[in-house]
Amino acid sequence: MKRVAFIAHCLLNQNAKVEGGAKRPGMWEPVIELLRDRGYVIRQMPCPELAFGGARRFWGVREQFDTPLYRRHCRRLATLVAALIEQHAEEGDDVVLIGVDSSPTMGVDFTPSAPHWAGRPDIAEDDSTLVRGDGIFIEELEAELAERGLPMPRSTGIRHWFADYDPEEELRRLESLLA
Amino acid sequence: MSDPRSRKVAVVADSLLEATLDELGRQGFGIIQLPPGGLDRETTRAWLEQTAEHVAEFRRNDYEVLLVDDGLHTAGLVAALAALGVPPLPQYAIQPPSTSRLTPET
Repeated sequence: MKRVAFIAHCLLNQNAKVEGGAKRPGMWEPVIELLRDRGYVIRQMPCPELAFGGARRFWGVREQFDTPLYRRHCRRLATLVAALIEQHAEEGDDVVLIGVDSSPTMGVDFTPSAPHWAGRPDIAEDDSTLVRGDGIFIEELEAELAERGLPMPRSTGIRHWFADYDPEEELRRLESLLA
Repeated sequence: MSDPRSRKVAVVADSLLEATLDELGRQGFGIIQLPPGGLDRETTRAWLEQTAEHVAEFRRNDYEVLLVDDGLHTAGLVAALAALGVPPLPQYAIQPPSTSRLTPET
């Protein structure tokens, strides 16, 4: 039995982040190193936002992304990820998923919300809030897995964009997930 | 707002990810992982198609994109890139192992 971690694209490729959102030149090492230390096989998921909105997309919140067309795009990508999860499930592997909790797309426990964001992109300060809930892709992945009779893997989200980000809390949460 | 992204991306064969991760990380590369073998043909084709879409977007914005290839998906990736008007990616030259380990301990 292998231990397999499906991770948000940007954890292995910070270049996929929205401009201004990268924390590191290439990858988010705290997660990658922990997964390697624990012997996990890494499976990188696609970045729905990069493919849909492009490298020069504006920052966004859940209410902006939650359209039928974006959901179809996410479902298309989720179908690929689900096929791979299904393969691992058939082999009896232990699968976990790590998203990004400040993302309207890859959020696992939290996702950004601002019902009033619209129009000209000149918001002086980020007044969005983080609300409980999944991102759009994570919801579509869960639905795709359910259609295949598979449960959503154990999961958590990276919170390095939270104002009160606590690396030690995150490490404990990740260690609990990977135990 | 500062953003330390490298604007360098390596498209890496699944079989070579673990062996090249440290080296690519030291050089600041972000990574796009190619799908593993064992998936059905249609899923593999669709996976390479979305990979090509990521690559095309990076190339359109002048990011450097290189390929760390094991040959498993070479033809499929080239075809998926060509469908988007993107030429084949230059190959990344994997650094040879350090020769220091060949030096006898004294």
